[in-house]
Amino acid sequence: MKLLKFELLKLRKKSRGWLGPILVFVLIMTAFPLTVEILNKDMGQSFFSVLWIAILLVMMLATEDIFLEDFNDGTLEQMAIKQSSLSSVIATKIFIYWLLIGLPISLIGALYGLGITNSADMAIKLTPVLMITTYIFLNVFSFGNALSLTKGSILGILITMPLVLPLMVVLGKVVIAINFGMNFLGFLFLLLGILSIIIIVLPMIISFVIKAHLE
Amino acid sequence: MIKKFIHQFASPKTYLFQVDRAYPYIFYISLFIYLAALFWGLFLTSEDFVQGNSYRIIYLHVPASFISQSLYLGMAFASAIFLIWKVKLSAYLVRSIAPIGAVTTFIALVSGAIWGIPTWGTWWAWDARIISTLILFIMYLGLISLHDSFTDNEKADKFLAILVIVGSVNIPIIKMSVEWWSTLHQTASITVTEKPAIDPSMLYPLFGSIIGFTGIVICLVILSSKVQILKREKNKSWVKDYV
Repeated sequence: MKLLKFELLKLRKKSRGWLGPILVFVLIMTAFPLTVEILNKDMGQSFFSVLWIAILLVMMLATEDIFLEDFNDGTLEQMAIKQSSLSSVIATKIFIYWLLIGLPISLIGALYGLGITNSADMAIKLTPVLMITTYIFLNVFSFGNALSLTKGSILGILITMPLVLPLMVVLGKVVIAINFGMNFLGFLFLLLGILSIIIIVLPMIISFVIKAHLE
Repeated sequence: MIKKFIHQFASPKTYLFQVDRAYPYIFYISLFIYLAALFWGLFLTSEDFVQGNSYRIIYLHVPASFISQSLYLGMAFASAIFLIWKVKLSAYLVRSIAPIGAVTTFIALVSGAIWGIPTWGTWWAWDARIISTLILFIMYLGLISLHDSFTDNEKADKFLAILVIVGSVNIPIIKMSVEWWSTLHQTASITVTEKPAIDPSMLYPLFGSIIGFTGIVICLVILSSKVQILKREKNKSWVKDYV
C-alpha cells in the first residue's frame, strides 16, 4: 500500500509523464477527422483502426521512461536489493501507469467512439475492451523498455511491437462483434484471459531483465 | 555415457571439431537430396490440374516456410537451455540462427509473392498467414538488432534468450492462422495425423525437398555458429591453434 502511494505520487508529480500521453492521444483522435471528408458516413469504419493504432502509439510513448529514471538514480537497485520481490514493485508501477494514463485514455476513447458512431451501446461495450487493451499494451511495452533500458525506446518498440500485433487482429474482431451484436462477451473473456496471464508473467520476466541490467 | 557426451558436446571447442567432421557429409548428402527432389518435382511430375506449372514453386516455398518457423522453435529451445543450464554454446547458437531465420523467412515471403501472381492474381494480400510471416521476419530482425546494440556480449545473450522465449508465443499463432481466420492462404496439405491432401507424385519430391532444404539450412547454421564461436572465443588458446 505504501508502495502504491509512493509510485502514485512519483508519477503524479511528473505531469509530462501522464498528462503528455493523454494529450497526445486527444490530439491524434482530433486530427483524424481532419484527414477525411467531414460528415463522411464511412468515418465510423476507419475510426476504430485509428483508435487502436493511436492507443498503441500512446502506450509506447507512455512507457518510454518507465524504468529509466529509477534506473539512473539507483532506486531500482535499492528495490532489487531489498527483501520484497522486485516483480511486485514492477507490477505496482505498471498498475499506477495504467491508473493515470490507461484509464483516462480508455474513457476518452469511449467518448470519441460515442461521438463518431452515435451509439451508446457501442461506447459502453468499448470501455472495458479499451481498459483491458491499454493494460496489456502497458505491460508489453514495459517489457520492451526494460530490455532496451539504456539503449533508447526505439529498440524496445521494435522488439515488442511484433508481440502485440496478433492482439490487434483480436481487437478488429471485437469491433465486428460489437457492430453485429455477436459473441462480444466471448472476446471480452479472451482479452481478460490474455491480460490475466500477462499481468502475472511479464512483471516476473521484467524483474529478471532488470536484475540482469544491474549486474 | 549420454551425460558425458552432452557435457563434451556443450563445450564450444568439441562442438567445433565434431561439426567440422560432419559438415561435408551433411552438406553433400542434403544438396544431393534437394537437387534430386527438385529434378523429380520439376521434370518428372505432371502439371497441376488447376494451377498448371506454377505450383512447382512449392519445392522452394514450402521448405522455406517450414524451416523459418522451425528455426524459431530451435532458437526458443536453445534459449531455454541457455537460461536454465547456462550452456554458453546454446547462446552462440541462438545468435547464429537469427540471421538465417530472417533469410529463410524472406525466401518464404518472396516465393509466396511470386506464386501468388499466377494463382491468386495478386502478389500480396493482407491475409493472416502472410502478415504473421512478415511479423516473424521483423521479429528476426528485431532479435538481431537487440543483440547487436549491446557491447557486453553476456548481457546481450541473456536478453536475446528472454526475448526469444517471450516471442515464441507468436509461433502457434502463425501456425494456426490459416485455420483460425478465414484467409486466402490454403490450410496445410500435409499434417502428421491425417492423410496428405496432395497426390503422392507431388508428395515424395516435396518431402525430399523439405529434407534437403533442412539439411542445407543446418549447414548454414553450422557455418554461422562457427563464426560466432571463433569471434567470441578469440582469446582462447585453442582458437589460435584452430585458425
